[in-house]
Amino acid sequence: MNAIATPAALILAALGYFVPSVAGGAPAVYAACTTIAILAVMAYGADLILSYLGEVSLGHTIFWAAGGYAASMLAVNAGWNGWQTAGAAIVVALVLAGALGLATLRTREFVFSLVTYAAAVVAMEVAFNWSFLGGSDGIVGVPPLQLTVFGKGISGAGNDTLWPVAWALLMLTLLFIQRFRQSRLGTSALMVQMNPDLAQALGVDSRAVRFLVFVASAPISALAGWLYAYQRAYVGPDMFESYFLVLMLTAIVVVGRRLLLGPLIGTALIIVQQSFFSIGGDGDKIILGTVLAAILLLWPSGLIGLWNVLRRPPANVRSPSAPAHRR
Amino acid sequence: MNLVQQLINGLVLGSGYALIAIGWTVLLGAARLVNFAHGQLYMLGAFLAWSVMAKLGVNYFVAVPIAVLALGLLGVVLQAMMLRLVMQQNLTSLMIVTLGFGYVFQGGAARIFGGDPERFISPLQGTNIRFGELWFTWQDVLTLVCTLLLFGGLWLVLNRTRLGALVRSVAEDPKLAQLFGINAARVYIGVFVFECAAVALGAGLVAPRSPILASMGFDEVILTFVVVVLGGIGSVGGSLLAGFGLGMFTALFGALVSPAYTTAAAFALLLAVLVARPRGLGAR
Repeated sequence: MNAIATPAALILAALGYFVPSVAGGAPAVYAACTTIAILAVMAYGADLILSYLGEVSLGHTIFWAAGGYAASMLAVNAGWNGWQTAGAAIVVALVLAGALGLATLRTREFVFSLVTYAAAVVAMEVAFNWSFLGGSDGIVGVPPLQLTVFGKGISGAGNDTLWPVAWALLMLTLLFIQRFRQSRLGTSALMVQMNPDLAQALGVDSRAVRFLVFVASAPISALAGWLYAYQRAYVGPDMFESYFLVLMLTAIVVVGRRLLLGPLIGTALIIVQQSFFSIGGDGDKIILGTVLAAILLLWPSGLIGLWNVLRRPPANVRSPSAPAHRR
Repeated sequence: MNLVQQLINGLVLGSGYALIAIGWTVLLGAARLVNFAHGQLYMLGAFLAWSVMAKLGVNYFVAVPIAVLALGLLGVVLQAMMLRLVMQQNLTSLMIVTLGFGYVFQGGAARIFGGDPERFISPLQGTNIRFGELWFTWQDVLTLVCTLLLFGGLWLVLNRTRLGALVRSVAEDPKLAQLFGINAARVYIGVFVFECAAVALGAGLVAPRSPILASMGFDEVILTFVVVVLGGIGSVGGSLLAGFGLGMFTALFGALVSPAYTTAAAFALLLAVLVARPRGLGAR
């Protein structure tokens, strides 16, 4: 199985790189593809918590914004290059996630969600009022991304220049998620979610697992924010807006939880709608919110669940040898 | 800073916090349901009352009950949609669903009512009562009286009536309650309708203090969390005390430290409590 799956995945990944040029190569196409890659990476951070820990983190906008702020402040004020700002984004996210992870160590379910949500609202208030972070104006004039090795590499701010970086970041994220799913931490997280008693009986420290997964998820969203800062050449308190939170959650649930490519496909659906079939900002909010609520109310397992329902043959013609429907 | 004036401000703020939080306290206690659209329901309550006043030309004291009624009806619709998930106690999905609802309300309100701040005016807001240097408005008195009456009435209903016994038994063990012939679905709908109507009343009384915006509601949710957690999840008396305590805290913090960071300070208080007592101060 693996002998086919790995080359197939590599070919798919390589083909993904050429999607914008195949789709016409217009600036709007490059912008949409780059945005999809960035926001999908952001969603993968929250996906780690929602799909594998089974908790709802409403605080991942903090890490997303922290990555953007770290990149902007260091690039604007200290002239750091892309590698350095990316490193800083990761460190800042790890520190913030460590602190929030410790504070929420003993919380579960809705208390965990409430605290992460409250943390995000408060972080927005702090960013809005603290002049060190640029206050309500944010940080403007982020220089073009400099990502070079021995003088060769990427230097630029246009979406066609940033696309290879966004694509590479997305591929690295997918690789990380794939490795995480197979890792001891990933399987322990699933066990803690599905059967905490079994996990405890097998000597899994559920608090340590939850803490580690939370901390590991933060740099993913932060690196997305890092690239977003270069794409927009600006960061501000709007990075905390519920748009990004609702987008993350919708992207994760729309196709189906615990699917490797789920958040990517979900993000792509949402951004294609908003980029090419928009009905205005407020109208798009109604669409996004409705999709999020409707999916969970009607097909809790996502579009993949709908697919299974449609594919399932009618009861009277089902052959006894048909494989059992997987849930 | 005049300490007595700040204590009055704390009492005024606190009665508002308690009033906005009461529906959520009951909802969380009885249905273990977290409604992240709570802040947007507050926004809707304020905008409905405002638009009824502006478009139909009715009086403030008619507009607020209309908004309360309208949000109660909205509560029936929302809970009917969520009923399957509520009966399964699928709390993770429910949280996300309510977040989606809130987002729809935010977008819908901006589309219908526009994105500009509006002035939702109560006739009592401008009528001051003065004792020397101290002052407050009749609106503050009305809010305080309504809060105390609602909390008192709710406490009586929950603890002294058959209806309250139904709600408490469903809160205790929904499956067992159903075995005894209690219609848990109906209790859940009733509790949710109460939440929506109560937050509309809170909005009708509290929102006239400042201009209303379609994008508001986030601070109200945070303060509600703090009240509910400090008071002990599901505790009616506890959340009244917590509301007043939080009101005093934010009034003094705003006067002594910085008004811009009051929500942040309230959140720090919440974190401190949660780290020390993960189930809230009121929990035994």
